[in-house]
Amino acid sequence: MLGEFEYLLITAAAGLGEEAYGAAIREEIEATTGRKCSIGALYTTIDRLETKGLLKTWMGDATPQRGGRAKRMVRVTSKGVLAAKDFYDAVTRVSRGASWAANRTGSAS
Amino acid sequence: MTSIGWSFIEAAARLLARDEREAVLGDLVEADENAWQGLFGVLGLVLRQEAGLWKSWRPWLAGFGVALPSSFLLMGFSLSVSWSYLTLRCPELLQKSSLTLGSGSLVLLCQALLLIGWSWTGGFVVGSLSRRTLWASTLLCFSPCLFCLSRFRVESLSRLCLLLFLVPAISGVHQGLRISRMKLSSAIALAITITALMLPGWSSGAHHWWAPPRWTLDWALCWPAWYLVATARRAGSKAGLGSSDGLWSGGHREQQTGMS
Repeated sequence: MLGEFEYLLITAAAGLGEEAYGAAIREEIEATTGRKCSIGALYTTIDRLETKGLLKTWMGDATPQRGGRAKRMVRVTSKGVLAAKDFYDAVTRVSRGASWAANRTGSAS
Repeated sequence: MTSIGWSFIEAAARLLARDEREAVLGDLVEADENAWQGLFGVLGLVLRQEAGLWKSWRPWLAGFGVALPSSFLLMGFSLSVSWSYLTLRCPELLQKSSLTLGSGSLVLLCQALLLIGWSWTGGFVVGSLSRRTLWASTLLCFSPCLFCLSRFRVESLSRLCLLLFLVPAISGVHQGLRISRMKLSSAIALAITITALMLPGWSSGAHHWWAPPRWTLDWALCWPAWYLVATARRAGSKAGLGSSDGLWSGGHREQQTGMS
């Protein structure tokens, strides 16, 4: 099963779609969670998820706003989507009945 | 970001793979982080990647199973080869050793071939197992070398005699980095030759009661040759880099190993 940060990264990348790359994913995670995301954590997790076949990465085009440097583009694979769904379902199931999850997870199967 | 701060970041980023460096530096420019945050971010990534490599058994085996013990033993054997050469060159020493010029030359030849074989196979295993942790294996090999060089006190021999094993060992490391596995037939031929060269040494020479038997030290140096046999590429398996009909079979360069 995925780890918490792995799930966040996959979800952020899936949400960004074609625009998913290192800096954008990092910004998305920081904006959503309100926590600092280090470059080290981001790229080692991307490498690990790619090794597991949950992400695919490739070098994109260089842009002037990045000082002429290329982006490392990220796409979630179908295996990654399944892993994220498994994690989400598990969290939803285990949260059922928890006081902080009241009236939120009632419809989950 | 200041130019000095940026130059530190670029220097630290040189420790990353080329594509990763490009992406990380681009992300830092885009995020407009300050120099310290950028530098800590890059160093953190380098450390995490390095730590990830050490989760595998390979760098441990290469460093502590081969590089460190083999360098100690091979320095001793380099000295033994140098001493045999000196004996052959000096008639008085030759007479004392009860060897003839012919038998002495044969002993020297066997020892020299054994030194080359042990050093080369050890180097090959270190190169093929270490790759991105080669710096650690190199340190573990050189630390006993420096220790012994600083304490070497034999007037008739140069200190460099201790390091005879380094030339074939470096050649082995180079080959091990270039290709990951040998062809099975070549590996078997090499291992059998090395083992056969070891046999005469077991029956000759006096041992001190406290010293480990000669064969245990020999096997400590010989096992990399048999490891190459165990991990050799079998006929019919898919070839990676290099030619499949030559001495070597190519292997995949595992540039991103140890991350899982």
